Amino acid sequence: MISKKQLILIIMLIALSPLFGVYLANLVGYHEPLDVAGDLLHLKDIRYQINWTPFIDYTVPGLPDMVGYAIAGVMGFLIILGIGYLINWVHNKRSRR
Amino acid sequence: MHIPDGYLDPIWCAGTYAVTIAYLIYAYRRVRANYDVSRAIPLMTVFAAGIFVAQMLNWPIPGGTSLHFVGGALSAIVLGPYLASYVMFLVLLVQALVFHDGGITTLGANVLNMGIIDVWVGYLIYRLVTRYVGGSRGIFLGAFLGGWAGITIAGAAAGTEIGLSPWFPYGIYISLPVMASWHALLGIVEGAITAFVAQYLLTKHPELTQVVKVGVRAS
Repeated sequence: MISKKQLILIIMLIALSPLFGVYLANLVGYHEPLDVAGDLLHLKDIRYQINWTPFIDYTVPGLPDMVGYAIAGVMGFLIILGIGYLINWVHNKRSRR
Repeated sequence: MHIPDGYLDPIWCAGTYAVTIAYLIYAYRRVRANYDVSRAIPLMTVFAAGIFVAQMLNWPIPGGTSLHFVGGALSAIVLGPYLASYVMFLVLLVQALVFHDGGITTLGANVLNMGIIDVWVGYLIYRLVTRYVGGSRGIFLGAFLGGWAGITIAGAAAGTEIGLSPWFPYGIYISLPVMASWHALLGIVEGAITAFVAQYLLTKHPELTQVVKVGVRAS
């Protein structure tokens, strides 16, 4: 499903991601336009009150943010790949009938 | 641009879910009819995985903000809009469920903004430009403008949804200009990445677009 070239590119991007997503983001203070609009409207982000996952904000419990971010990248990549394989398997099974 | 829980009232959450589900059902039928599904599924998966990882690269902007690539327009230009919507749906679903990036109640709105509006605006602008400007110049210009406009209109749509939420009356006068102007600025980077990657993929790997059998051609 995924070629060697594609896999190498994705691994490289995952390896680089903590630099951008954690280190540099902390340096400037992560602040998306949506956060700006939310602040101006006094909207309440209730993410931390109602949370269903230990991996909130691409962190892994017990690991430093930089490492956790990269692990979260690997996890997300593998989950998407797994879903793709599952859909492909169901499709192949159905078309063989 | 991922709207978290608590930003939209229940009416907007239900409305955006309804529109998104109806569209995804229609898009599923179009994918089955128009695409070589056995090739489309692996391509959708690889694109989704690549976009998920690309979205993790937050580019800091001096002044205290940051941006990341969204990828809806790029997917639409290369794979066609119906399959691209499923690429974005897969990315947004995993982000919401596993990493709480975007809410559950607002997943419909997030798919509407990034998986439908961004995808279709980007795709239609790309098609319009390439109709009048040929060759690789047309691909580059169309993809740039498509990427830029897709993210700008999607940002404006998110601002509209938040601003029109009855919980925050008159908020649209704040949320729409903030979201539209920031995304118009940040969209330049989205447009540039979309242009370079689309041009590379469409000129070096034209076989990617052959996933579309009939009807809507990606290029």
